[in-house]
Amino acid sequence: MTELSLRGAELDKTRMVRLLQDYGVYAGVVVLFLVNVVVTPNFVSAENFRTQAVQVAPVLIVALGMALAIGSEGVDLSVGSVMALSTSLISLYLGYGPWIAILVAVLGGMLVGLANGSLIAFVGVQPIVATLALMVAGRGLALVLLPQLKDIRDPGMAALGSGGVLGIPYLALIAAALAVAVAFVVRRTTFGRRLLAIGDSRPAAQLAGLPVRRVLIGAYVLSGALAALAGVLATARLTASDPTSLGTLMELSAITAVVVGGTPLSGGRVRIGGTVAGAVLIQLLTATLIKHDLPPSWTQIAQAVVIVAAVYAARERGKR
Amino acid sequence: MCGRKARTAARLYARLYRTPVPHVRTAARAVIPPRGVAPRGPRTSGDVMKPSAQPRRTTVKTLVASALCASLALAAGCAKSEDDGGGRKSSGKGGDSGQVVASPGAGGQQTCSVEEFGGEKLDLKGATVGFSQSEKEANPFRIAETASIKDEADKRGLKLLTANAQSQFSKQISDVQALIAKGADVLVIAPLNSDGWGPVLRTAKARKIPIVTIDRKINAKACEDYVSFIGSDFVEQGKRAADRMIEATGGKGEIAILLGTPGNNVTTERTKGFKDRIAEKAPKLKVVFEQTGEFAREKGQSVTEQLIQSKPGITGIYAENDEMGLGAVNALKGAGKKPGAVKIVTIDGTRNAVQGIVDGWIDGVIESNPRFGPLAFQTLDAFTKGEKVAQDIVIKDSAYTEKNAEADLGKAY
Repeated sequence: MTELSLRGAELDKTRMVRLLQDYGVYAGVVVLFLVNVVVTPNFVSAENFRTQAVQVAPVLIVALGMALAIGSEGVDLSVGSVMALSTSLISLYLGYGPWIAILVAVLGGMLVGLANGSLIAFVGVQPIVATLALMVAGRGLALVLLPQLKDIRDPGMAALGSGGVLGIPYLALIAAALAVAVAFVVRRTTFGRRLLAIGDSRPAAQLAGLPVRRVLIGAYVLSGALAALAGVLATARLTASDPTSLGTLMELSAITAVVVGGTPLSGGRVRIGGTVAGAVLIQLLTATLIKHDLPPSWTQIAQAVVIVAAVYAARERGKR
Repeated sequence: MCGRKARTAARLYARLYRTPVPHVRTAARAVIPPRGVAPRGPRTSGDVMKPSAQPRRTTVKTLVASALCASLALAAGCAKSEDDGGGRKSSGKGGDSGQVVASPGAGGQQTCSVEEFGGEKLDLKGATVGFSQSEKEANPFRIAETASIKDEADKRGLKLLTANAQSQFSKQISDVQALIAKGADVLVIAPLNSDGWGPVLRTAKARKIPIVTIDRKINAKACEDYVSFIGSDFVEQGKRAADRMIEATGGKGEIAILLGTPGNNVTTERTKGFKDRIAEKAPKLKVVFEQTGEFAREKGQSVTEQLIQSKPGITGIYAENDEMGLGAVNALKGAGKKPGAVKIVTIDGTRNAVQGIVDGWIDGVIESNPRFGPLAFQTLDAFTKGEKVAQDIVIKDSAYTEKNAEADLGKAY
C-alpha cells in the first residue's frame, strides 16, 4: 500500500498491469462466479452457497496461517499434519466435552508451531526443512495417538459442523471472523508490522533491533493454531476423526490460495483479502469442474493454469 | 539490494516507535555484544538493539523441549475418548471364521505342486512363516487382514514373523529380504505393487521358499516364481454392486459413481465391472456423474455435496469403497434428505457401512473379504504336504442387504 502512494505518478500502462496483478484474483472470482450463474444449473441457491462456504472454510483458515508464515519469508508445510494431529486429539479428549477437546487440539497445534518456530528461530533451520520435519513427525504422531478412523457422536461437535445462524453455517462465520482478525493483526498491530519487516529483510530487522525470534515463533504458533482449528472444523463436518487422510496435501492447497491471492513468496507483504479470494477461486474452480462432471485430471490441470498465471503476475511484480 | 531493504525496514521501525533510526553500520557493531555480557536487568526504552543473550537462549530451548515432552506425556496419559469402556470389540475376531473359495480347486484350473515348483516337502507344523503387510494397519481392511493371519498362525501354533512396509515399496522389498534372512520357511506377502519383485523372487527361489500372495497379484510366473495368489475378483465385485443397484433403483434413473484413487487397479476394475453390467442389464440406468473420492470419507462427502446440488434428481450413488459411501451419507444428511431417498451401494463390508444398512441409509454393501489367514495357511499346508493347489484362488465375497445386515453385523470387520 505504501508503494502505491510513493510512486503515484507512473505511466498508465504500468498502472493497469499493477491493478491487474493486485486485483486479478478478485476479477477471477467474479468472472468464474458469473460463468457459473449462466452455465451451471441450480448454482444460484442458498443451499449451494452454503456448501461452497462450508467446503472452503478449512482451506481458508489454514491459508490465513500460511500467509503469516509466507509473509515472514518462510513457509509452513506442517499444516496438513497439524490438522491430522488435531483430529486425533479431538477424538482422544472428547470424553471431557467438546470445549476441552477443542482447547487441547488447538494447544497441540500451537505446540507444533512452537517447535517449528524454535527450529527456525533458534537452531536456524530453513523454514521449508524445519516444517517438513514436523510435517512427517506430526502425521506420525497423529497416527500413533489414533491409528484409524473413529466416529464422533458428540452432538456439540455435530452442531458445529452442520449448524448455523440465520442460515449461515458456523464454519463460514468462524472463517470470516478469523480472516478479519488476521487482517487486523497484519495491518494494525506491532506484531504484524514487525512480521512484515522481518519478512522483507531479516538481517535488517535484526539490525533495527526487532525481536526477530519472538516474532518468528509467534507467526508459526499462530499458523499451527489456525491449522489445528481448521482440523477441528473439518472433524466436526465429517463427524469422524480420520488422521490417515485428513489434511493430506492441505499445505499445497493453502500455499496455492496464498500465492494466487498475490502474496509474494519472498516475504514482506501479506494480502489477506487476496488470500480469501484465492481460496474462494480454487473452491469455485473445483466446484465448477465437479458439477459439470469433468474428469478429475482436468481439475489438476486447471489449478496448475491458475497457479502459473499467479506466478507470472508475481514475476512481473518482482521486475519493477 | 539488501542494504536498501535494510534501510526501508529500519525506517519502518522508526516510524512505528518514533525512535531515531540507528545507523545500519553502528547497529551492526552494537548488536554483537561480547560474550557473557548479557544484560539481565529490565530493558529501557533506548534498548533498541536487543542482544541475543546466550544463557537465555538455552533456557528457552530447554523450556521448549520440556514443553514438547510434557505435552507428549499429556497426550498419552490423561486422554479420555468418547466411548471409553463400552468400546466395540476388536475387528478381525468377528463372527466370520474365514473365507470360502469361489472357484473350486483343481477342476480345469492351473494348479501347482511341490514337484512342479521345484521345492521340497516340509511339515508346516514347526515351520517359520514370514508375513509382509503392504500398508500400515490404519484402515479396517488391513487391520482385519493382519489380525486374521496372526490368529490363524496362533491357532496352528506356527512361528510367525511379521513386517509392515508402511506403503513404501522399497521398505517392503527389504522387509521380505529380512524375513528370508531371519529364516522364514514360507512367505505370505500382501504386495504393495505388482511390479519390481525380481530380486526378492530370485532370493526366495534360490532357497526354495514357497510364496503365497494375498489381495494383490505379483507380475511373475505362477508356480515358478510364486505358488498361488489368493484374492478377490474386483471386476466381479463391481458387477455384483451393479446388480444390487439395479435391484434397488428398479433399473431406471440417473446414478453417480464415486471413484477410488485414480490409477489404482481396484478403481479401474470395480468401475469396469459395474459399468459393463449396467450397460448389459439395465440400459435405462444412466451413469451421469463420475468423480473421484480418493477412497476417503471426507472427499466422498464434499464431492457428493456438489453432486446433489447440481443434480438434485439423482437416484443412486455407487461408492467404490465404504468410506466414500459413508461420506455420501453424511452429505445427504446435511442436505436434509431422508434415508433411502438416494440409493447407495458400496463395496468392502466394514462395520460402519453395514450399520448404515441397518439405519436405512445404505442399500447394499458388497463384501471384499480381508480374512485371508485360514485360506492362506490351508493352501500352504496342502502345498507343502505335496498336494496340488490352484494358482489363482478367488475367494467368495458375501454381501449385505437390509435382509441380513442386522444379523450379520458381527461378521463385518
